[in-house]
Amino acid sequence: MIERTVTIVPEDGLHARPASKFVEAANEYDSEITVAPADGDPVNAASMLAVTGLGAKSGDDVALTADGPDEEEAMEAVATVLTTPESES
Amino acid sequence: MTTESDHTPLTTDLIALDGAPTEKEPCIEFLLDLAVDAGRVTDREQALEDLLQREKDATTGVGMGIGIPHAKSAGVASPTIAFTRIDDGIDFDAMDDKPATLIFMLLVPEEGGEEHLSMLSSLSRSLMHEENRDALHEAESPERVEEIILEAIDA
Repeated sequence: MIERTVTIVPEDGLHARPASKFVEAANEYDSEITVAPADGDPVNAASMLAVTGLGAKSGDDVALTADGPDEEEAMEAVATVLTTPESES
Repeated sequence: MTTESDHTPLTTDLIALDGAPTEKEPCIEFLLDLAVDAGRVTDREQALEDLLQREKDATTGVGMGIGIPHAKSAGVASPTIAFTRIDDGIDFDAMDDKPATLIFMLLVPEEGGEEHLSMLSSLSRSLMHEENRDALHEAESPERVEEIILEAIDA
């Protein structure tokens, strides 16, 4: 399992289009991916309901984990969504 | 309606246990009309445009049978939640391809800040729990639904 903490860049936070892209990315890989707020429990990154429940805003830190056969690529993909400004994605 | 209820986002007249259209956009209009009839909306057209724009950015079909169309809109007078359920489910463009059976609309005025996002995340967290989804399906009165949802967003 690999872990990474990233700061959310898109202005909308983990909401609307960035959230949708994040969940889509998490669903593209076989690895299990989780996302957790700085002081909270991890949730399944492949569930839009769970991700919406985080209420994570732009500038918040979140902890990501990926566990599985393609964990490196999976981590790269979901971290990229969270660290790319909406205008450049 | 009384002035007191202006401070509560959800009242029983904003809850329809059945009778909603079984397509996404008409269903959104149906929920919006509950809010209009409850005196929560000053500009229906503007509110609808803002709701549909949000769906265009990304669907609010969040999966697990839940749809949460929402908007911050200049056409909205006060923070409002409207609810309906559709036992057979409707296509809400959810990423998990599951039909939506519980539909919540969240509306806040333009000056509402981030209030709708905190309502949205509290509600989503609550709906992660199967017992809360079951309770909403089983509720036999708008009063019971009101109780469940107000408890959920207060958590």
